[in-house]
Parts: sequence; structure tokens; C-alpha cells
Amino acid sequence: MTRLKTLLTGAALFAALGASGAMAEVTVLGWPGGPEEAGLRKAADAYNATASDADKVKLIFFNRDGFFDKLAADLAAGSTDFDVNLLATYALGRYAPFMEPITLPDASKATFPEKVLATMQYDGKQYGIPTDLSLHFMYYRTDLVEKLLSDADWKAKYGEISEKYLGKKLEPKDPDAWTWEDWMATALFFTKAINSDSPTRYGTVLQMKNLLFNMMVWHSAARAEGGDWMNEAGEITVDSPAYRTALDIYKKLYDEGTSPKDSTTYEFAEANAAFGAGQAATMLQWNAAFGDLDNKEKTPAVAGKVGTVAPPTGPAGRFTHIHGLGLGINKASKNKDGAVKFLNWLGTPDAMEIYAKAGGSPALSDAVVEKVSAERPDLVKLGQYAGAYGFVMHGGTAAKALQVYELQAKEFTAYWVGDKSIDDALTAAKTGMAELLKP
Amino acid sequence: MPRTSRFEGRLLIAPLTAFLIALLGFPLVLDIIYSVSRVGFENIRAPEPIGFSNYAKAVADPEFWAAAWFSLRFGLIVAVIQVVAGLMLAVFLAPLFAKRPWLIALLMLPMMVAPALVGLMYRLILHEFVGAVPYYLLEWYGDFPAFLGRDWAFTTLVTVETLQWTPFALLILHSSYAAISPDIREAAALDGARGRRLFVNIDLPLMLPALGLTFFIRFIDSFRVFDNLYTLVGPGAGGSTTSMSIYIYQAFFKVGDIGLAVAASMLLLAASFVVLWAINGLTARKAPL
Repeated sequence: MTRLKTLLTGAALFAALGASGAMAEVTVLGWPGGPEEAGLRKAADAYNATASDADKVKLIFFNRDGFFDKLAADLAAGSTDFDVNLLATYALGRYAPFMEPITLPDASKATFPEKVLATMQYDGKQYGIPTDLSLHFMYYRTDLVEKLLSDADWKAKYGEISEKYLGKKLEPKDPDAWTWEDWMATALFFTKAINSDSPTRYGTVLQMKNLLFNMMVWHSAARAEGGDWMNEAGEITVDSPAYRTALDIYKKLYDEGTSPKDSTTYEFAEANAAFGAGQAATMLQWNAAFGDLDNKEKTPAVAGKVGTVAPPTGPAGRFTHIHGLGLGINKASKNKDGAVKFLNWLGTPDAMEIYAKAGGSPALSDAVVEKVSAERPDLVKLGQYAGAYGFVMHGGTAAKALQVYELQAKEFTAYWVGDKSIDDALTAAKTGMAELLKP
Repeated sequence: MPRTSRFEGRLLIAPLTAFLIALLGFPLVLDIIYSVSRVGFENIRAPEPIGFSNYAKAVADPEFWAAAWFSLRFGLIVAVIQVVAGLMLAVFLAPLFAKRPWLIALLMLPMMVAPALVGLMYRLILHEFVGAVPYYLLEWYGDFPAFLGRDWAFTTLVTVETLQWTPFALLILHSSYAAISPDIREAAALDGARGRRLFVNIDLPLMLPALGLTFFIRFIDSFRVFDNLYTLVGPGAGGSTTSMSIYIYQAFFKVGDIGLAVAASMLLLAASFVVLWAINGLTARKAPL
């Protein structure tokens, strides 16, 4: 009898385990290892607290390195390991064939401005809920710039340095009024090798690694000079004076030693380490860096002294590259109904409030951002800059846009380190882009 | 051999044959199909046959040859340094290892770390603002080289690879050195051989097979370098640190030209086969001696 009871108990346990294993749930593949992950975890917890067992959300994360390549391989293979996955504006064309278009609920339209929803649209269809918006800030040390604007000796030295290195005598300006030349002059002034009185070792820190994301950062300069990938007729236009000027801004700054020697291997994290160590006076960087840089526990050397403005102005105006991260539905998903329910909830003001307070960076409509502005003042600026200065290069959401970024990264970094002439680099970029972006 | 025994032999080897066909044969057939097709992520399940143009594209691509040259140079330099360093350590530390064999286990530790983590570790150690090496060089000498920059990246990579994998060479060469019979050395000593002469004329010839084996294992391993290189410097400015493995990875995942990537890997496979076949031939010919 005892043995029978044991068998029955075992069978019951087995059945229970089997039932829970077969229970439908929504698996979400998110963007790992940053504030986006922290935000998504909080949002998922809140959703699961009220969702039925069949609709509960389970989160999974790849490593950030090579994320989009692994995602491409999984989607192409028809993986059913996840129902909802990350999307990015610049990869929409690549992933659209493997994604399920969604219909936005009214709540989403009230949560996000139209321009932000458009970052998840491709070929006239909506593919995801825009959870994060990325753009660039010009970061600067407020204490150093304040002194530069008020100290007569520093002003005089600034004029001398700008005349010697840029060929014209400039005066220090408020960062919000900087042109790209003003930024260059400031970077030169705060470089110890050029100005022994500089309190920082470097005037700036450039991200020059052969990496597609670094091209996006540099594009803010290229666009301000009037550059674009192609014209309305579809002709590739990178071999232009605008691109040459923007490429030379970085090359000049690097060659003069205003940025660390290893800058050619720097990306987001390395640049933050330099600025966070208090050894770089300025930095053109993604908005997502602000939280850590202004955190007294993480970067005590600069926290409380970090200013942010939109990137400098050029002859064509003031611009910042903009792209969105979002979540959409895997075409091969076996639980699309559950995925739709989760995304519908995620697009509501309440969900985005939780997401933003936990670290995410959504660009929200005025009414929604008001609720989080006390804790996340940077989100107010995010929305303003996106609306006023945001741009996407012509062709920037094409199916092979990522490959264009990769190509430019390879060619332009070759120019910056002196392996190629500017003519050769631009010609190679133009030829390759014509092939990648042909209709 | 009687017919029954032959049949039994074939029957017994059948599971292993089936296992090898499934594990090696299927991917090889798939690779051959992809290498003669226009295939990307969009049509990965329905490749479009295009003949040998992927092979022509790879052979005509200067970056393919640059990557091949990078891997060849890297593999040869690293293998030579590791074999020489491993040999020196095996010989000079032999008395110490005889008394304290646990030291060998200690020296093997670098091999226990995943190469990708080694790359990340050195990326931190060599970073100007968080790394110990630039910090102390700056303190002591007022300057330091850009270890990961264009001019130093190759040297840094060779150093990192050498530091991690010399213990492997040491392990094999120590075993080989320890296996030489003391009688042979004693006989040579009676004939007046001492020090360098004993090493060059007795030890070294007896260790030649082990030296050759170590060299080829380390060369093959270094030629296909990927993990630590990728995490340390990636493809480098303008593709200056693109190895064959990175070239294939970039073509496959970054550019999405799967046909080209697979064709390049098939060319690499063919080259490897020729080299291994030649080595096998040489070894077989020398065996009776």
C-alpha cells in the first residue's frame, strides 16, 4: 500500500510538472546588460503580477556582443525559442521578413509621439512597440567649461590655441551654442599635451573602433556638415565635401592627441571610462551614458559635473542621429496571442512609466513624460532633441543598412589611422554602398 | 581474411561510420551546396545555385588574401615563439619539476581560461583609464604605447597568445624531455659529451618528433585565432587585424553573404587538407627509419 501511495504521489508530481512545462507563456528576448534590461525586468514583473498563468512573460537575454547576428540566425532558422524579440530601427529591413506586423492599440498612440512610433515602421507596417530611443548628447564638464567662460587667462590661451591649430582665433562659447569648430577648439584647449595648464589629460574621447555603432555617433557630425548617404534620385552621395569635412574633424582631433591613443579601439564603454575617470573634458556619446556618468557611486570623479547639450551646429544645421529599440513579434512564434497581449500592455502609459523609472529610455508624449520627469529629467531632453534635431540618413532603414554602417566603419577607420587616403576610403564606401543600397 | 570476419568487421564499424557521416558528412554537403549558391539570411532555406562565382569572388577579394596572410604570419610567429619558450622552460625547469611536480599544474593554469575571457581581461588590463599596465608605465616613464592601436595590436596579440598557450608547449616538451632515458645521456657523457653538445646532439634529435608535433598543433590553433582577437581588438581599424576566422565571420554575419563565407571556409579546408596530407606523407615516409 505504501509503495502504491508513493507511485501515485510520484505520478501526480510528474503530471503537475508536465502541466506546468506545457503551460503557455510568452518568452521575450530583450536587449541585455544595460538599463534596458533593468527596465524590462521591472515591467515584466508588473505584468506577471496580474497576467493569467497562460500569459505570463519569461525573459531571456543573449550577450550584447554579436546580438543582432545571433538574432538574425535564429529568426532565419525559424526559431520558436522566443515569441517577442528586440528590434532596432537600423535593422528593421533585415528582420521584417521574419517578423509579424502588429496593430497598435489606441493606448500606444497616446503614449508615444507619432515620430517615435515611426522608428518601428518599415514598408508602411508597424513592427514593434518603441521601448527606447537613442540619440547623442554632447557631454561636457560643467566645472571646466564654467571656468573657461569666466577666466581671462584661460580665454586668452583658448584664443592662442585655436589660432595655432585651427587657423582662426575663437572665443569660448556656451556648449549649447557650439559649432563643430568650437568643440574642436575646446578639445584642443583641454588636452594636456597641448595646454599644460589643462586639468584633464584629454580634451575629448572619440569612439573610433571599426564598429557600426561608432559610425552612428560620427554621423551627427557628417549630417551637420550637410552629408547624406544618398540623394532623392537614389545616387550615393558620401563622396562629398560634407563627408570630407566631418571625417577630417575626427582625424584632426585624433592626430593632435586630443583623444586617447587607443581611441581606435574605443566604443561606448571605453569612452565612458575615460570621461568617467575625469580625464576627458568633452565627449560625443549616446544619451544612455548619462545615468552612470552622473551617478556618484559609479563615477565619483565627474558625477554632478556632467552637462549635456545636443551635438554642435554645422553649416547644414544641428542634428543628432536617432534610432529606436523596440519589441516585436517573431513570425515563427507559437504563442502570438500571448505576445500581442503583452505588447498591448507594454504600450500603455502605466507600463512605460514603470519601464522608464527602472532605467529604460522611452521617448514619451508630453502627458506621459510629465509623470516621470522628476525622476528622469533626461527623458524630457530626449523627447525635445529627438523632435528638434533627430534624423535618419536617407537609406538608413534599408534591408542592408547595417552592412552600410559596417562598410563605412571599415573604410573610415582606415582613413583615421592613416592606412588609406580619404579619396580611397570614400571611393570604396561609395562603390560598396551602391551595391548594398541598389533597389 | 575470411568472409564472415570481414562482414563482422564492417558490421562493428557501421555505427561509427554512420555517426561520422551524420556529424561531418551532413555539414560538409550543406557547406558545398551553400558555397555554390547565392544565399543570405533571407533565403537560407532556399539557396539559389550560381556555380563557382562565390569562390571566384573570394579569390579575387584582396581582403581574403590579407586575412590569410595575417593568419599565416600570426600562426607561424606564435608557434615558433611558443615552441622555443616551451623548450627552454622544459629544459631549464626540469630539475625543479623533478622535485616539485605540482609546479607543472600551476603553470598550466592560463590554459584553463577561455580565450574570449583572456581577450576581455587584457582589454581591461591595457585600458588607459582602468588598466594597471598603462597606469604604471605612465607613473614610471611618463608615457606608454597604444597597446591596442594600429601599430601595436599585432605585437600585443602575439604576446597574449604566447602567454596563454606556451604552457601547452611546455607540457608536451617536458614529457618528451623527461622520457629520454638517462642511460643514453650517461653513455654520451662517458664519450665526453657535455652541456650544449649533449643537448644539441642527443636531447634535441630525440625530441624532434615532439617539437614537430607541438609546432603543428600550436600553428593550427593560432592560425584559426578568433575568440581572444575578437574580444581584444575586433577586426581592427580598416580591417587591419582581420584573421581568416574573422573574415569568414564578418562575411557570414555582418555582410550576410553566406555563400562567400562558406566558399572562403571551403578554400581554407582545402588548403588545410593539402598541408595535412603533405605532413602525413612525410611522416609515413620517415616512419621506417
